Amino acid sequence: MSLQDIALMAHLMRRAGFGATYQEIHENVSDGYDHTVDHLLDPNVSDGIQQDMLRRYHPDHSGGLGTAGMAFYWLHRMVQTQTPLREKVALFWHHVFATGYGKLAQGRVLMDQVEMFRQHGFGSLKTLLIELSRDPSMIIWLDNQDNHKGAINENYGRELLELFSMGVGNYSEDDIKACAQAFTGWTVSNAKYMKMRADNDSLWPYGRLNLHFEFDEDDHDGSEMTFLNETGVFNGEEVVDIICRQPATANFISRHMYNFFVADEPPVPQWPYREPRDPEAIQILSDAYFESGYNIAEMLRVMFKSEFFKSENVRSEKVKSPAELVAGVLRLTGESRKLTPKLQGDANLLGVMGQQLLNPPSVEGWHTGTEWLDTGNLVERINYAASKFADVNKPGIKEMIGRLAADAGGVATPETLVQDCLDQMGAISLSKTSMDALLNQASKTGKSEIGTDERETDEDILGELLRLVAATPDFQRC
Amino acid sequence: MVSTKSDRKLVVIQLSGGNDYMNTIVPYTNGLYYDNRKTVNIQPTEVLDIDGEYGFRSHMEPIKDLWGQGDVAIINGIGYPTPNRSHFRSMDIWHTALPDDIGNEGWLGRAIRELDPKGENVLTGVNFGRGLPRALAVRGVPVASVGNLETYGLFSDISDDSSRDLALETFAQMYGNANGGDAVMKFLGQTGMDALKGADILSTAPAKYSSTVEYAADPLSQSMRSVAQVLFADLGTRVFYTQHGSFDTHSGESATHQQLWMDVSAAIGDFTADLKEHGREDEVAILVFTEFGRRVKDNGSGTDHGSGGAAFVIGSSVEGGMYGEYPSLKEQDQLEGDLHYNNDFRTTYATLLEQWLGLEAAPIVNGHFEQFSLFKN
Amino acid sequence: MQLLQISNVVRRQNKLTTTRTATDFLVYDRTLGVAAMEFRGFYYPVDLAINKEGRIYGLNRSHEGDPRGVRICMFDYDSNYFGAFGSVGEEDGQFTWATSIAIDREGLVYVSDEYTDRISIFDSEGNYLRKWGEHGDMPGQIDGPASMAFDNDDNLLISDHRNNRIQKFTKDGRYVSSFGKEGEGDGEFNLPWGVTVSSSGDLYVVDWRNDRIQRFTSDGEFKSKYCESGSDEGQLNRPASVAVDKSGHMYVADMGNDRVQVFDPDGGFVMTLEGQATVSPWAQEFLDASPTEASARYESDLRVALNARTGGTYEKRSHIEHLFWAPISVKLDLEGKIYVTDRNRHRVQVYRRV
Repeated sequence: MSLQDIALMAHLMRRAGFGATYQEIHENVSDGYDHTVDHLLDPNVSDGIQQDMLRRYHPDHSGGLGTAGMAFYWLHRMVQTQTPLREKVALFWHHVFATGYGKLAQGRVLMDQVEMFRQHGFGSLKTLLIELSRDPSMIIWLDNQDNHKGAINENYGRELLELFSMGVGNYSEDDIKACAQAFTGWTVSNAKYMKMRADNDSLWPYGRLNLHFEFDEDDHDGSEMTFLNETGVFNGEEVVDIICRQPATANFISRHMYNFFVADEPPVPQWPYREPRDPEAIQILSDAYFESGYNIAEMLRVMFKSEFFKSENVRSEKVKSPAELVAGVLRLTGESRKLTPKLQGDANLLGVMGQQLLNPPSVEGWHTGTEWLDTGNLVERINYAASKFADVNKPGIKEMIGRLAADAGGVATPETLVQDCLDQMGAISLSKTSMDALLNQASKTGKSEIGTDERETDEDILGELLRLVAATPDFQRC
Repeated sequence: MVSTKSDRKLVVIQLSGGNDYMNTIVPYTNGLYYDNRKTVNIQPTEVLDIDGEYGFRSHMEPIKDLWGQGDVAIINGIGYPTPNRSHFRSMDIWHTALPDDIGNEGWLGRAIRELDPKGENVLTGVNFGRGLPRALAVRGVPVASVGNLETYGLFSDISDDSSRDLALETFAQMYGNANGGDAVMKFLGQTGMDALKGADILSTAPAKYSSTVEYAADPLSQSMRSVAQVLFADLGTRVFYTQHGSFDTHSGESATHQQLWMDVSAAIGDFTADLKEHGREDEVAILVFTEFGRRVKDNGSGTDHGSGGAAFVIGSSVEGGMYGEYPSLKEQDQLEGDLHYNNDFRTTYATLLEQWLGLEAAPIVNGHFEQFSLFKN
Repeated sequence: MQLLQISNVVRRQNKLTTTRTATDFLVYDRTLGVAAMEFRGFYYPVDLAINKEGRIYGLNRSHEGDPRGVRICMFDYDSNYFGAFGSVGEEDGQFTWATSIAIDREGLVYVSDEYTDRISIFDSEGNYLRKWGEHGDMPGQIDGPASMAFDNDDNLLISDHRNNRIQKFTKDGRYVSSFGKEGEGDGEFNLPWGVTVSSSGDLYVVDWRNDRIQRFTSDGEFKSKYCESGSDEGQLNRPASVAVDKSGHMYVADMGNDRVQVFDPDGGFVMTLEGQATVSPWAQEFLDASPTEASARYESDLRVALNARTGGTYEKRSHIEHLFWAPISVKLDLEGKIYVTDRNRHRVQVYRRV
């Protein structure tokens, strides 16, 4: 098992999931890289999430009064799932099709949207965009219940083209109007009451009422239109079909995928003016899009197996999103293997760090890369990871320390000690600066004898070392 | 002592959850009030009279005292067009000063950018609480968010000082030397060192502080004590922010609302006393606001989300009095069962920005608004 | 395939002819409560208990994201409100994961917490008196007290669910006896939940993950078992609670199927309740205070046909308000009226025998 294989697998598991333990990485390397990619993409693998248990213990995971219960539920899934890519892809679409709680005052309908991403997020983009257009939270979020025959509201039509499929510069204002026309009558049942409940933040009298899609044929403008140079009578489904045939769509979705899974791109509004970082990669993904009939899973498969994904140039290139950071830490510490109310604290911290799940700042979603970071939330991020890894009572940390002590077998040089810690924390690699600082620390604590002394001494030394690895700038990256 | 604009500080207290205006500034001489508030009301005998017509609710004595000294401006009927009764959305509107669009920049973040255009002081704006309220959030404007001033900073969980120092030393090596890496590494290094610096400066504040004022134990009082500590340490902070709640009193309002206003009044009373003890009272204006008021009618146990509320501006430099109009309680004057707002919240923002902080308000609050004359000349 | 379907239809028809219809056994009576995160009302209520004077103690678990909701609300059948007590936390008189509530012969109120493994005791006005209970798997220790019931000797039975057993304690917390272990056989459990004692003294235990009800003698001897996994009549999906009336009829909160099923004393299917909630007096006060929202509500079709996307009863119930959504507890009052705690709808639906 070569070090390169291990480093590559660690990279894959960070990007296609939320990181992996040392053993998971080793097991996956034994299974082979391509096999692991196929397994991550296999829709038949069970996620292992015990829904009945969650319903029993955590009523708000289904009731959805606010974002808190939903963030808890989703974080639980990110940490406990056996199909991490499914959660990662759902998170990807949540970034792209950013829909926010503030205008909906309904947690459940947003969680249903995320569930829709789990179901359709790997299939045809066409199905996904039709489901998105029928999604009741999206309808309220972008005012489509006000999009009427004879009185068009362009909001959804515009964002569908600008942010959800093609990107600015690839369509005209008339196309926007035609697109909006095609979605007239796509509304929610009891729209007036539901919108009023959302505006009033009402959970009265008996909790939130979920929203559901309704097609109001009488309110649908079925007159002939011209959309992206095609003329005819088009409903929303046909418009989505035309959108999916556009090379611009292939490019735009490919660039999103690259930005989320491979390397940070500038924020979306700058895309028309700035070339992709790796145009060849975008071309490969776009080709996969058309060859597979707009199939997302096939694009992902091509991407993860490509040289541009495996390249050393993109390793640890990204800045972890708060969700990646927190879920990644918790998968290693093992503290939430048993259901616990304490996970709510971790879920709430996502918001403190700048990523309140199900409540992105705007329809543009979160800006990624260094835009995740400012002094305030960097302190939160570092303190979070560092304090978790220093807590030697957490089951995952206990196991790590046990293995570190066993591996050291009595004597360890600072070099092997630090390297062992990095391996145990998910085979992470460090810049020279960070490595030097850690070696300095490891030699300063004086003790290089590990595993012979008393358990508490091991814990002291290793806990401090794990803390500092988690505090490195490198750990902030993905 | 008359303060100059460059000395002046704004302290913002957000009442989260939607404070019940009618039970804060009580129209206790108006029969319609008791008709609508059959269960959730303040009896005339409990009201602290303001002007023979309105009164503060019970347990607001410290604020009533400040009112008596002419230091309290009550902004009546404050709100914005087309009320939204969702906490998130309404709070967003107050934070971004944009009632019709979803905005990305906080009004106070913009103010901080104007106060410190080059971002020379990472402490120009300080939030007391965890996570940055959107009011303070503007890309590239550093604002410190302090959960607990005593332990603020990196590795706050390490209780042993020497271990913490050792960890911080390693941290400084890692982040201070990160400028050799790629652009992201450089950014991380810079941000990490800024955080370290900010924490170092802030950590000096509690030690420098001494006062005879004993603040209460509730979180708001403790936050106001931290505000005083940072303010007296003269770290250049101009905007302070904190919040208290929850004012979302749908049920059992009588008990909860009383406790909340005991907390808020005591915290403000203690803070102003502390300012006076240190001779700093002329430098500070306090803005107290909430995202919305509550329904005119009670629901038998509490009150539901409404519109039209009250804000307060408090300080020795403030020209005390009633501003705006108390909205009519008559059914035909109501807006969907709520009090009808009659002055835009950006009027108050613009007044504070121009008359108190000396900034041009229009670009910050997204337009030109009339202003009150809120300050003594 | 087709044959199978036909035989199912026949089977169901036969069953229907041998059972009474809904209207001549039980009728809907009323709805109590309203969603409220503090004081009067409910926030994810999980259980209730009724004392001899007819005072009802509604136990609100709330959820981790809103600690204000945790408390016990005191009220009665006529919607009079008598105050609330308890809060979230681990101090005396507080709860983290409240699960059940029971009242002893003296009228003292017992509340279980499956996070701290503690039983807290209050007087009838809600003043905290004392607590007992200790985490563990030794006899007398508890790991997840899910439900409580007093037996005819005024001893307290606790379903100790993560230990897969039922334990008996005296009222002051002294261990008396226990029975059951993990498994699927007779007298074995998979995370048991509701426990109740019939007037004859038999114990009924809801065997949650085995989707069945087991019946024992007062000494814990296995007597019989009822139901199986599924969503047809007579089948259960993760049931939470059972109540047994004087005639021996069983009322089961079939939480995973979002319904209450009624069985005769031998386990024969009698009927299903789907939920028929109406506007309670407290709910009406809310609507009166919000006239615009109320009028939009009256114009709406709240029983609109569904095109639920992710499917399943759980999603359906999130849309349709009058139906049960996670019915979690069934309790009877002295007259035999049936109180169903409708957890995700923050209310209690009451039914009565005709």
